[in-house]
Amino acid sequence: MTIEKARYWAENMTELSKNDRLWLNNPVIMQGVGLAPMVVAATSGYTALVLAVAVAVMLTPTRVGGAILRKALGEKYDRFAVLCYAFPAALCYIAAYFLVRHLWGPSALQQVGVYLPLLVFEPLIIRRYRAAVPEGPARALRRGLYTTVGYLVVLLGVGLARELLAQGSLMDVQLLDVQLFPLAAQPAGGFMLLGAVCAAWRGRVRAFKRNIYQEVERNK
Amino acid sequence: MSVILKALAEFVLYAVLAAFAQNAVLSRALGVSHLVRLVDDGATGNGAFCLLLTVVQVVAVPMCWGANQLLTPFAYRSAVRPLVFLLITTAACGLVWLVYWLALGKKQSDDAHKEMGALLATASFNSCVLGTMLIVTTQSLTLPQAIGFALGSGVGYYLAVVLVAEGQRRLRNRRIPMSFRGLPITLLYLGMLALAIYGFTGHTLLI
Repeated sequence: MTIEKARYWAENMTELSKNDRLWLNNPVIMQGVGLAPMVVAATSGYTALVLAVAVAVMLTPTRVGGAILRKALGEKYDRFAVLCYAFPAALCYIAAYFLVRHLWGPSALQQVGVYLPLLVFEPLIIRRYRAAVPEGPARALRRGLYTTVGYLVVLLGVGLARELLAQGSLMDVQLLDVQLFPLAAQPAGGFMLLGAVCAAWRGRVRAFKRNIYQEVERNK
Repeated sequence: MSVILKALAEFVLYAVLAAFAQNAVLSRALGVSHLVRLVDDGATGNGAFCLLLTVVQVVAVPMCWGANQLLTPFAYRSAVRPLVFLLITTAACGLVWLVYWLALGKKQSDDAHKEMGALLATASFNSCVLGTMLIVTTQSLTLPQAIGFALGSGVGYYLAVVLVAEGQRRLRNRRIPMSFRGLPITLLYLGMLALAIYGFTGHTLLI
């Protein structure tokens, strides 16, 4: 990294970290949201993909819809902010349900069980109601898209890793004859694997930030 | 008489099952994102949160059981179930608020009402509540079984909160590598607790 770039990063680290939903402020790794579907239902690349499509359909429209509704209702009715997000989420779920059914058939819905409808109350989707100040629709759209990308990267990665470790396959293609970590297919293994991924990811982020500050310090 | 006794036995059995063997957090990870935040944020009363969650669940589950019976002939009931359950949760949340208002409304300050409102919203619109309602309906439980399951699920959530809070207290240790502190070590700890639950359930879980 060039010194100019390092200086820019060092000066704007807080703002850049806040806006980066993929790497520095990933919703799963840094904020711990959207854990339930990832830990229990995303046991293979296929189930992770089913959940990913549903999240992609639900997250951004819910956030934008919630932002518009909250603004329209005004401060007087802010105590109902949670409903401003939950109702659009429940409506988006109907679209996600039919899309998943159309793409993979009813068996896909059975494989993810209650974890698909559960997305309606998932903090990943509706947590913006807790924010004291409502966001504008344009900002909601931008942030929603970034958060979706950040979540899907971890969801698909964890789903594929669990399939490989538990079954020795990737997207149903058998690659290994041994089961390296069969527990990965169970919720307990999901918690442990996600914990390990979180630790490694956070370690890399800390190292990245430390390197930037050291680089700037060296070139003072 | 035997019908009442049977219903009571089913209620108790499902309550115990939901609290321990099929613990909402440890076997199904329901409400785990909230739990991690709740335990981290020591300011919020864990007991009050779990009490509200349990009460809303117990109030909402009979309504969602009835609604599910009405939805049975509808071909695409699974698509609209979350919307119906959202309406039921809203009604249950309103009912709990009304009882609170009638019992303590005039004695509390505006700030206390605001705090209670925020806590009730977080406890009601929680994936543990929706998850419990969905499990009760997809597994076709009878009404006593459903209410028992809802009660046990709330108690199980509280047990998980207590276990994780105590675990985190003991895990605040300098010997734990920096990268593992906070969420990663909590997830590993939850994984180990979930592993202990396999002693009750075996390796298969209906989701």
